[in-house]
Amino acid sequence: MSLSGTERKRLGALARVMIPGGAGQPGAAALGLEGAPVDDVLRIDPTRAGPLRRFLALEGPIDTLAGIEALAQHEPDGFEAVSVVLANAYFMHPETRAAIGYPGQEARDASVGLGEADLALVDVVAGRGPVFRRV
Amino acid sequence: MNTESDVVIIGAGPSGAVAALELLRAGMSVTVLEQGDWVPADHFDGARPEWELTQLKRWHPNPNVRGRPEDYPIDTAASDVNPLMFAGVGGAALIYGAHWMRFMPSDFRVRTLDGVARDWPFAYEDLAPFYGYVEEAMGVSGLSGNPAYPDGAPCPLPALPMGKVGRKAAEGMNRLGWHWWPGSNAIPSRAYRGLQPCVLRGTCGTGCSDGAKATPDRTHWPEAQKLGVNLRTGARAAEIETDAKGRARAVVWIDRRGARHRARGSVVILCANGVGTPRLLLMSGLGNRSGLVGRRLMMHPYAGVMGTFEDDLESWVGPAGQILTSMQFYETDRSRGFLRGAKWNCMPAGGPQSFRAGYTGGTLTGGWGATLHDRVARKFGRSFEWGIIGEDLPDESNRVDLSDALVDGDGLPAPRITYAISDNTRKMLAFHTARAVEAMEAAGAIETEVTPLIRDCGWHLMGTAVMGDDPETSVVNAVGAVHDVPGLYVMDASTFPTSSGMNPTATIMAVAARSVLDLIERRAEVDAA
Ligand SMILES: Cc1cc2nc3c(=O)[nH]c(=O)nc-3n(C[C@H](O)[C@H](O)[C@H](O)COP(=O)(O)OP(=O)(O)OC[C@H]3O[C@@H](n4cnc5c(N)ncnc54)[C@H](O)[C@@H]3O)c2cc1C
Ligand code: SF4
Repeated sequence: MSLSGTERKRLGALARVMIPGGAGQPGAAALGLEGAPVDDVLRIDPTRAGPLRRFLALEGPIDTLAGIEALAQHEPDGFEAVSVVLANAYFMHPETRAAIGYPGQEARDASVGLGEADLALVDVVAGRGPVFRRV
Repeated sequence: MNTESDVVIIGAGPSGAVAALELLRAGMSVTVLEQGDWVPADHFDGARPEWELTQLKRWHPNPNVRGRPEDYPIDTAASDVNPLMFAGVGGAALIYGAHWMRFMPSDFRVRTLDGVARDWPFAYEDLAPFYGYVEEAMGVSGLSGNPAYPDGAPCPLPALPMGKVGRKAAEGMNRLGWHWWPGSNAIPSRAYRGLQPCVLRGTCGTGCSDGAKATPDRTHWPEAQKLGVNLRTGARAAEIETDAKGRARAVVWIDRRGARHRARGSVVILCANGVGTPRLLLMSGLGNRSGLVGRRLMMHPYAGVMGTFEDDLESWVGPAGQILTSMQFYETDRSRGFLRGAKWNCMPAGGPQSFRAGYTGGTLTGGWGATLHDRVARKFGRSFEWGIIGEDLPDESNRVDLSDALVDGDGLPAPRITYAISDNTRKMLAFHTARAVEAMEAAGAIETEVTPLIRDCGWHLMGTAVMGDDPETSVVNAVGAVHDVPGLYVMDASTFPTSSGMNPTATIMAVAARSVLDLIERRAEVDAA
């Protein structure tokens, strides 16, 4: 179930205000967030589409966060869907991940266990002796 | 369809798994009824980019949010805390954090030591061999010699790495001279029996896609299957039936198409957790002479302190899992104004999504715009949490009963929760969060955020079919046998007289092992149908 052109346009306008870009991170406009990235999110979690569309159908100015806030107070569930969809589309995007230095939940070797520096810290605790309450 | 076996168990989580496997090893025939399904490792999203998206719905710990057909809904309108769980072969462990904690010796003697609640009918020393037994089965990783335990809480596998987060937290604790120890987790640091080695993916709370985390579908059910268990999935128990002499005789269950079946057995064991078990007892009208079925619900209200640091700590790296624990303020100190205490666990902060919400000044959009980018730049990868699990003292008005309006997909009454956070708990969490802020500052945090309590924190469900010797003041005896109903047993945390401040699964499995081995030893004496 894909968004209509009007819905997508409105979502894009919201995204530009909510994710303007800055502090070394890309903005929604540069990523075209309201296109394929949002479609991906809705494909993975279609339950967001209904409330998202409700919010997109609301009339009112959305060119500032204050304007969006007024609509959000009126339709909090719809705004939650907008938030989930945009945030996930944004943080799942490879360009965002690269910009914030996030490789994703990657696999690493756990068998290295505790290193010498760790054990030196542990020794301090062990050296203080038992701390349990006698019963 | 009717089946006949020696024993019928309801629930395929950690407690049901321990009970079933021991009975099968002893040569008995066992039917297990589980409303959920098997969940293969590749169903979990941990290794996929959408991991943080699907944890908000498909893998959410609150069944009311998840809303899968196998879940039952829970009426939480009168509760300060939402009970959390998962229906499947492996139970809630499929999405547990695998924090593995033995209770403290003092936890079994709170009445004697602190004049509150009840003592357990057995002591830490009685349970210690069973802890060791289930820890072997679960491949627990950790560093033996923890000075917070008289026996050092030995672990069969070496500890997982502490990482940059653990070292930072430990340095702060050492500056203060406070107790901490590398985390113990039911997560193998190397390949162990049916478990893959952990790869530190850090998505334990939404399921382990690498087959590492110790969950009963990997640690217990494969052997049970080899021994011939009749494990029925998609099987929702509706009622326990008794014979003319009042002995447990059968369980009526409903399949996914709504057809009713009867599983007969001369012993019935409830392992459906601290909400599901009292629900079934109440639906069956059994075992409630004391009036305590469903009462004394304990859920461990949880608070947390997030610290942000200048250094890059790679704080999305797992396990999650606990990296460190602290028992510095675990015991009662009356000068603090409350009784008992809390255990702390140091946890990674996860992926970037968590920085979307947070402190937004009370508005819905406050976390967006330039604030979002600023928060992510300052905090992402540079933050971690000291989480606080406070001992929840039993109160008879905190309870599970049956909803008169809400029903599950089979038309059975949903459980209804009435639960209020006590004054003792509020004071305890306020004290502990203040100390955790100090721990963060000692570690060099440039910013701290206190979460005084989260509503979605009912991970630990205990106390609703309390054990004791007197049938007037308890529901089951010290080995889980329901007073007045021969052949009916409870082997999950419903039986716990108190909650401790610890994650409960180690104790659930140890107590289940103790109870079921006693049942096996005494089976000739059981007045079974
Ligand atoms: C998100 C989360 C994180 C957690 N983290 C930790 C942790 O780090 N450490 C820790 O020690 N504990 C943790 N816990 C708690 C831990 O998962 C539970 O204590 C443990 O799973 C309890 O085991 P159990 O077998 O008694 O019950 P459960 O695991 O709840 O299993 C009960 C089973 O019974 C089934 N059932 C219920 N009613 C019926 C019925 N009528 N018919 C058929 N089947 C039924 C359920 O579907 C379920 O599969 C966590 C829990 C959650 C939800
Ligand atoms: S940290 Fe280890 S146990 Fe947890 S999800 Fe990752 S691989 Fe599995």
